[in-house]
Amino acid sequence: MDILLSFQGLLPFFFIIGVSPLLVGLINKQKALLTGRIGAPVWQPYYELLRLSRKETIYATTASFVSRLAPVVSFSAILISSLMLPIGYVRPLLSFNGDIIVFAYLLGLARFFQILGAMDIGSSFEGMGAAREATFAVFAEPIYFFTLGSLAFITGYTSIYDIYHSIHLDNPTSIVFIIVSSISAFFLMVTECSRMPVDDPTTHLELTMIHEVMILDNSGIDLFLYQYSSYIKLMVYAVYEASFFNPFSMQNHWIGFSVFLIVLVLLSSVVAWVETMIARFKMKVIPQYLLFATAIGILNLLIYTFVRH
Amino acid sequence: MLIFAVNRILILPKILSVISDIPQWEKFFRADGLGLYFLLVIATVSIPIVLSTRTYIQRYLQRGMPVRAYLAIFSMLLLSTQLLVLANHAIAFLIFWELMTLMAYLGMLLEKEKPEVQKGSFIYFCTTHAATFVLYIFFFILQRHSGSWYFTDFHFTTDNGWMFYIACLFGFTAFGIKAGFMPFHFWLPWAHPIAPTVLSAFLSGIVIKTGIYGIFRLIEFCSPLPAWMGLMILAASLFSAIFGVWYALAQHDIKKLLAYHSIENIGIIGIGIGLGVIGISYSAQSLIWLGFGGALFHTFNHAIFKSLLFLGTGTIYQNYHTRDIELMGGIVHRAPFFVALFLTGSIAISGIPPLNGFMSEFLIYKGFFETASLLGEYFPLFMLLMSVGLAFVGGLALACFTKINSVMFLGTARKGNHQFNVSVTDYLSLGMLAILCILFGVYPQSVLGVISTVITYNRWGIIVQPFSMFAQWDVITLVFASVLVTIGSIIVWKKVNAWQRVAPAWGCGYPLQTARMQYTASSYADEINNIASAMLHREKHVVPPRSIFPVRSHFSSHAQDFSDVKFVAPLYSYILSKINTVEFLSRTDIRYYILYMLIVVLLYGGIAIVWTYF
Repeated sequence: MDILLSFQGLLPFFFIIGVSPLLVGLINKQKALLTGRIGAPVWQPYYELLRLSRKETIYATTASFVSRLAPVVSFSAILISSLMLPIGYVRPLLSFNGDIIVFAYLLGLARFFQILGAMDIGSSFEGMGAAREATFAVFAEPIYFFTLGSLAFITGYTSIYDIYHSIHLDNPTSIVFIIVSSISAFFLMVTECSRMPVDDPTTHLELTMIHEVMILDNSGIDLFLYQYSSYIKLMVYAVYEASFFNPFSMQNHWIGFSVFLIVLVLLSSVVAWVETMIARFKMKVIPQYLLFATAIGILNLLIYTFVRH
Repeated sequence: MLIFAVNRILILPKILSVISDIPQWEKFFRADGLGLYFLLVIATVSIPIVLSTRTYIQRYLQRGMPVRAYLAIFSMLLLSTQLLVLANHAIAFLIFWELMTLMAYLGMLLEKEKPEVQKGSFIYFCTTHAATFVLYIFFFILQRHSGSWYFTDFHFTTDNGWMFYIACLFGFTAFGIKAGFMPFHFWLPWAHPIAPTVLSAFLSGIVIKTGIYGIFRLIEFCSPLPAWMGLMILAASLFSAIFGVWYALAQHDIKKLLAYHSIENIGIIGIGIGLGVIGISYSAQSLIWLGFGGALFHTFNHAIFKSLLFLGTGTIYQNYHTRDIELMGGIVHRAPFFVALFLTGSIAISGIPPLNGFMSEFLIYKGFFETASLLGEYFPLFMLLMSVGLAFVGGLALACFTKINSVMFLGTARKGNHQFNVSVTDYLSLGMLAILCILFGVYPQSVLGVISTVITYNRWGIIVQPFSMFAQWDVITLVFASVLVTIGSIIVWKKVNAWQRVAPAWGCGYPLQTARMQYTASSYADEINNIASAMLHREKHVVPPRSIFPVRSHFSSHAQDFSDVKFVAPLYSYILSKINTVEFLSRTDIRYYILYMLIVVLLYGGIAIVWTYF
């Protein structure tokens, strides 16, 4: 079990859980600047987490043990799944054959409990959010398999670290993979992390949202866990996206890390720009939007199949 | 009763030893790896089912129903199913197959005065008899070819020409009907809801698995199957899996919903079998292991969590006397521990880690990746589509089981304020199954060793690689254990920092939220179902509130099965119209019927003579 001995493997994990609120802060700051406001400081999400962790937790009278358990399970699952992602050339702590599947399904565990937690109150608002979350998840899951999964089928590796490091720039089709996958992965990130144009993270009215409405009745530590896990989830998907640009790092640790950071910052700008420029879609259109992202993903494999033969 | 039924299970080896004392009977039974594995599945699941039967029959006892007959039938069902998987003789196999089918049918008739019971059990009776008929032909072909009735002598290859394909077609049809592959699944959603729930658990957990057992035997007899057949099995299974779960999502009847989920899970097992078949035809050992291993493991897992869910449903039915999930709600406040057990089964069936449903799906996913990298060509494309399909199934199953758990258990009671009693034996049987779900999920090595032995010593081809070669099981155990530890430590942390208060739910400024305003099962599933409403034959009847003082508004929706609409109903009406032409045979005098029977027996005798001499 030499992987356990490598302390290095913990570095991506600490990076993800430490920097994730900063990424959200960065997006919010850029959004504010784009709309001509000064905006809150980039550290604001840290303050918010601190504030929430000190607050009293209020449970609804209709809440059962499911409400108390759901944030915990959701947070734990996302935390453990973040242990499987590489940053640059650092092999993550948990890297094994087939972790690509375990990663996807751990996020499924988080989603399962989040939906149950929302439905536990019996409020129709939260039910609406939960139903939408379940619906869009059905169409979001294939995108994951069409991006990272198709690379796994092409390269023959089943560990996320190996898959990312099997892409090389000397193969011209790799560049197509990088472009196509990063577009699809961006769509996936937007959906899974409830950003515009699928969901609006800023409004606090019920009918416009998916994620925000599901946590309507959570407060205190529970809300802290939900918020923090949503930050980590955004970071996880950002890392997932940024790792497609690994081949540009010339096999070097430090260049790899710098490329990663640059892509991360660029990504936050793109998210901020999209959220400023595009209005939220109608709920009816979202499955089509996701199927479009899936269709782009299929390109990956078609290109591969026809280049080979 | 309990002792009686447990005795039935324990006494089995003794019966077998008695039987094996008779020299000629020795060859009739053979306990090979596959048979013993299925015996293990049957025995593991029947103990909790028998335990639950104890409480379940109380209600019938109070009403003075023929419970004794039911128990005898159930014991016979148990026994015949266990003997079925040990049979080594085609005729013995057919006898136990018939016996199992008949006993299940008789068991369904416990509440025979209800019209839906009559209809559902009749559909089951007809369909499984059609399957048995096809099965007879399958075994006759095999016997004709090998000149023996013993399973160990059956061997059929593609060199035998078109008869090989005919045999495969008949075999797959017969076992496919029993297992419930689409489009032969139509009897399942009719038969499972009307059976006593403990019997439904056995039907869904075990009886349909005998179809899977048959398919495994078929692969043994007709070996090697060509690779295109493997691809066909993959396609059919994926079809079953996707549409099984999609139909399930549209159901309000909990038992019908679970029946559709059986079709989905049979589809997942079929995907594993398909991979294994491809593995045999390309003689790729790792594929055989991952495909058949995934299928066998999922068979066990499905037996466990499906019987957990059905037994849980039985408990709910006893308290609510309805199967409509829209009328339930808020059970968690009255029986939190029961809900936790049911939830365990739901997470397991949705294929979510760290429970057992995930582990078998994990093996099958690994099989996809292995196929793509070993076989190359166009296989990566096929396998990618398969994995996307399986992910899609996972997403739909998640939606479906969050739906039923939310609507049945969470929120507040929708109708009346029922007492909810769960007996100790129910807790015991559900708890046993839930523990197995967790154990097989977190520590799959316990079963994988057994499965490895089963696959290694079979006629599919010797496998030399140990199962530890196919994945780093210890690391996966570690991942799941760390998830559980993290959950535990955060719960402790929450308890220590306990500063909490209970207040009314936030209604977004709307006062007086009632139980009727909660999200219902149909509204929860509406968005997903709308996408496939044409395929699902889903109908909505809406009378919206009109004018300023709306008098009466109405909404109802129901989903029909495409195979019912397009396949079964036309076939039925066709047969009915043809039967009218032979109506003149219908007489009131019993002597005519004796004459008919005589003619039929003579006909069979004639066929037998032709069969023997030509």
